[in-house]
Amino acid sequence: MAKIIKIQDEFSFIPRSEHTILEALEAQNIATEYQCRQGFCGVCQVTLLDGEVDYIEDPIAFIGKGKILPCCCKTKTDITIELPYPAPPIGNESE
Amino acid sequence: MKYTTFNREQFDATKEPMFFGKSVNVSRYDQQRYPIFEKLIEKQLSFFWRPEEVDLSMDRRDFMGLPEHEQHIFISNLKYQTLLDSIQGRSPNVAFLPLVSIPELETWIETWSFSETIHSRSYTHIIRNVLPQPAQIFDDIVVNEAIGKRATDITRYYDDLIASTNYYLQLGPGQHVINGQTISISLRDIKRKLYLTLVAVNVLEAIRFYVSFACSFAFAERAKMEGNAKIIKLIARDEALHLTGTQHMLQIMAAGDDDPEMAEIAKEVRPLAEKIFTDAAMQEKEWAGYLFRDGSMIGLNKDILSQYIEYITNQRMQAIGFSAAFETKQNPLPWMNSWLVSDNVQVAPQEAEISSYLVGAIDNEVDNSDFSDFDL
Repeated sequence: MAKIIKIQDEFSFIPRSEHTILEALEAQNIATEYQCRQGFCGVCQVTLLDGEVDYIEDPIAFIGKGKILPCCCKTKTDITIELPYPAPPIGNESE
Repeated sequence: MKYTTFNREQFDATKEPMFFGKSVNVSRYDQQRYPIFEKLIEKQLSFFWRPEEVDLSMDRRDFMGLPEHEQHIFISNLKYQTLLDSIQGRSPNVAFLPLVSIPELETWIETWSFSETIHSRSYTHIIRNVLPQPAQIFDDIVVNEAIGKRATDITRYYDDLIASTNYYLQLGPGQHVINGQTISISLRDIKRKLYLTLVAVNVLEAIRFYVSFACSFAFAERAKMEGNAKIIKLIARDEALHLTGTQHMLQIMAAGDDDPEMAEIAKEVRPLAEKIFTDAAMQEKEWAGYLFRDGSMIGLNKDILSQYIEYITNQRMQAIGFSAAFETKQNPLPWMNSWLVSDNVQVAPQEAEISSYLVGAIDNEVDNSDFSDFDL
């Protein structure tokens, strides 16, 4: 069944199954910080408020309590996340 | 605790703390207290690269064409990075190895330091290829005031730790009179120094390097000095891994399961540790002023770079559980991310000067015998 990603107090969407959570956010034009995209720098960390994720590769970066590394995981259940900063959309479309 | 290169005692290394336990004996990785360090080692090894893989012939031409103030920016950054990696190529070994007590961390420190020596070698590769007088650049690093000012701040934590460790290993804890000077050595104090040194190293890798990275990538955004940017990209990938290493160490220490005294110390010196971050940010902003003293470069000036320093300082502080020190919330240089991404750093053989690709490709030795079976 399709899993839903909800951004706290913003909106929800259904990610494509092949996308990592980071790619899914980018596909929604949500600018997210990233660096290595391979799970070792830890820059893309976001807070997981609700739900569970599956890591597709073992992250090496230190992940704080209640955080996830969206560059290397996918949704396991519906999830709600909180972005570290009020991230502006990349494009102007889709409010 | 006296350092020995091979501890003959039999003990379970998985019960030892990261530092200040028993000296390591067998370098075994079948059982590990912190498997994360093994993962870091494997990742670092998979990153192996050599500066000679990157061709810099275009960079030489680009550099000649740069206006003088941009040449100053380029050269100054290279000098500063050379200094940073000179320090990092040796200091983790000298400072941390005598204190470490688990094999996987010992090997990580060695692997980490080794990769810094590759960075040092790549600065020589860049400087030799881009400039006619490489010696001038290297000679200036020691005497340059703007660089020297920061060098002291970077090295004093290391030096302090190394000095105390030497006394501690030789004389043990207590009051000692050495050359007429009374020196008091306590394990807690050395632990404190170790923690602060790790914070300073984290700052070096997480913040100080990024000013130079930003400039290198800003040049490359204009299609200038692209070979250099390729090398810096490889260096940035390594540094991101190294800073993850120090973040893990700091977090393990702060958690307290490893060594409860370390956790107390981490709490106790928190204000000082935060100050190391904010002081470094201030120094890097000053450095930005020095870089752009004769003029800014397209796409980058002192203000934007200072904002970036604040932004990245916040991010790094939060990564080790501190609270952000600055107001800046947005990344003022969003294009940096695409340069820092590391899943596309691999260079195609035809685009680079890979030694194995060139060997035997051209034979410069030609004489009459080569034409012996040649008929017209």
